[in-house]
Amino acid sequence: MATDDPVRDEPEADEPEIEEPEAEAAEIEVPEDSAALAETTTEDSAPPYPPRGTPWKAALLAWLMPGLGHLYTGRWLRGLVFAAIVLALIFGGCSLDGKLWRPAGNPLDVGPGTVSAFLTALSVGMGLPYAALLVAGYRGLVISQGYEYGTTFLLTAALMNLLLVFDARDLSLGRKP
Amino acid sequence: MSHFGLMVLYALAVSLFFALLWRDEARERLRLFLQLFLGLVLGAVLVAYLMYSVPSGPPAPIP
Repeated sequence: MATDDPVRDEPEADEPEIEEPEAEAAEIEVPEDSAALAETTTEDSAPPYPPRGTPWKAALLAWLMPGLGHLYTGRWLRGLVFAAIVLALIFGGCSLDGKLWRPAGNPLDVGPGTVSAFLTALSVGMGLPYAALLVAGYRGLVISQGYEYGTTFLLTAALMNLLLVFDARDLSLGRKP
Repeated sequence: MSHFGLMVLYALAVSLFFALLWRDEARERLRLFLQLFLGLVLGAVLVAYLMYSVPSGPPAPIP
């Protein structure tokens, strides 16, 4: 008799623990005021600032030329300053003989090929300036004193331009002032 | 231009870019610009000072 009591008590002790999640689920499933919920969701999705232009056009222009996406969305001063910064970094990087990354080797081979593919993809973020440097035959000069700084300048300019693409898209959608 | 001058120029460009990108008000932009610029320059000077105690090896071969 003494051994049966604990066995009988255990399921009774577990029952409330099993019921608790069901009670929580029932609380979650209780429908709230659907009209009020719909109003809040539409207010959250509405852009805080007036949208301007087409988002994909803004992103494409921003990628093609630094600052052009901001000019397209009407942010003239900001666009000109961004263009000046990114183009100055590209010009400075080339003046310092920095490396312009381009595809080399098999990108599927783990090692230098993968690094080259990643940094080339990042460099393409420069847009038209990257194409212009490729056409001009610019490669960089590894024995130059400013090679590392120049490469850093060029990669930073490409990363900045990619960030400007997202910023121009947000401006066009009305997410930023 | 010296390495220090290039580093200051780089810090200037990066600080200005992100201050304009991440902040909307003039006062906040100036504050972030100063934080980033001083952080980059002073941080680089601090790292350079710490690295001074590490002996440099022979120069790397030119490929």
